[in-house]
Amino acid sequence: KKWVKKMERSEHGNRSDTNTDYPFQLLCFLKLHTYTRVQVSIDICGVDYPSRKRRFEVVYNLLSTRYNSRIRVQTSADEVTRISPVVSPFPSAGRWEREVWDMFGVSSINHPDLRRISTDYGFEGHPLRKDLPLSGYVEVRYDDPEKRVVSEP
Amino acid sequence: MIAPTTRKDLMIVNMGPHHPSMHGVLRLIVTLDGEDVIDCEPILGYLHRGMEKIAENRTIIQYLPYVTRWDYLATMFTEAITVNGPERLGNIQVPKRASYIRVIMLELSRIASHLLWLGPFMADIGAQTPFFYILRERELIYDLFEAATGMRMMHNYFRIGGVAADLPHGWIDKCLDFCDYFLTGVDEYQKLITRNPIFLERVEGVGIIGSEEALNWGLSGPMLRASGIKWDLRKVDRYECYDELDWEIQWQKEGDSLARYLVRISSRRNSRGPYENLEIRRFNRIKDTEWNDFEYRFISKKPSPSFELSKQELYVRVEAPKGELGIFLIGDQSVFPWRWKIRPPGFINLQILPQLVKRMKLADIMTILGSIDIIMGEVDR
Repeated sequence: KKWVKKMERSEHGNRSDTNTDYPFQLLCFLKLHTYTRVQVSIDICGVDYPSRKRRFEVVYNLLSTRYNSRIRVQTSADEVTRISPVVSPFPSAGRWEREVWDMFGVSSINHPDLRRISTDYGFEGHPLRKDLPLSGYVEVRYDDPEKRVVSEP
Repeated sequence: MIAPTTRKDLMIVNMGPHHPSMHGVLRLIVTLDGEDVIDCEPILGYLHRGMEKIAENRTIIQYLPYVTRWDYLATMFTEAITVNGPERLGNIQVPKRASYIRVIMLELSRIASHLLWLGPFMADIGAQTPFFYILRERELIYDLFEAATGMRMMHNYFRIGGVAADLPHGWIDKCLDFCDYFLTGVDEYQKLITRNPIFLERVEGVGIIGSEEALNWGLSGPMLRASGIKWDLRKVDRYECYDELDWEIQWQKEGDSLARYLVRISSRRNSRGPYENLEIRRFNRIKDTEWNDFEYRFISKKPSPSFELSKQELYVRVEAPKGELGIFLIGDQSVFPWRWKIRPPGFINLQILPQLVKRMKLADIMTILGSIDIIMGEVDR
């Protein structure tokens, strides 16, 4: 019971909040327990609320095919906290966690394969944070004298 | 039996972002030992356009043209889900006729997407003729779409609360004609492909996914149904008046590429069933002019382009032909969403590729990749 910090039910879906250290345990529990049996991790995404102290929130959307129920688990994280990866119960979480890292900067301890997934090869910064403007800081263009692609502000 | 001679000399081949086949820009780094594949690593990100970040700065009406570009072959699904999200948040009811029109468009889109999956799949395997046949059918669907929405592919058709404009006069007859024609078309494909020994050799037993594994890896859509799990969001979630039509889920038991192919072909034949039921039903409605007037009044009262999203979170999903397409929407008390997360089916379905290609030959990678049915537009968004 100490895993779940707050539970909220609304008509749009159930949601439970948990602490940073515990998403792994909670998700394992949800997966194996006979009454919830959540087998599919549909989505892991991050949300940025810059006005809060723990700025990011990582949302795990889960689905149980046995009971046709969906549940949402949320944890909040700072810019430097690291989350435990949930790859071992849910192998599909590998890519999601990479994306959360790439887009937000929330990394995972002991993640099997943490690299950037959607941004360019030399991209600095984490795109989906609210403080990165929509058009970014650098612009990529093909520079004719140098005959390659350069980035410049 | 020749022992593998090149054990210590593994070759790393880059199937680069530009492919001759139409999967999109996907880079595969394949480690080979002779012709067996040891490992394969897909690298995405070549088509990343920042759709999620753009969504935070656009209202829904402004964002609708963007969404068709995620999955550019089955465009109505992306629009449907973009519009469903705010509708559920705001508890807006969709009028019956608009719901029917939406379902017809969605099923047409599903047929179109499965057709265009089939073409490149066959072309990868080596059969070039179905490619032309599907384009012939797809042109017919394009004509229907153009008559109804104004654009062949990137229709900006769905709106919050309904569709943008009513169907033109006589569209339904054309649609029914297409249905009849398409049934013979599907039979033609069946005759050409399904019992072809070359096809079967190439595809049977390749890329088997067990049902437990499929669930663990988060697959959805035809991939899940081909592994023996009867999971179809249209039945389970019951949205958009799919309740009133009767049809069945198509599924197969083994999990190889042949099963996935069969699921898709039969789901195409299946889409036509609810389609025809709908057509007949709506045909009756049209005669009733009073109903017509009411609908027109409702539809033309579109919400003004600044539709305010309340401060709630919502996960909406739809059964796209590739799998489960979902949007996780967090609204703020403003016209722009705070977080718009797209859950693309291709992204997740692609994760299983490194698992499946171990111990397969090099040529089987294309079969498996084709049968997973990914579109890079939605994988990368």
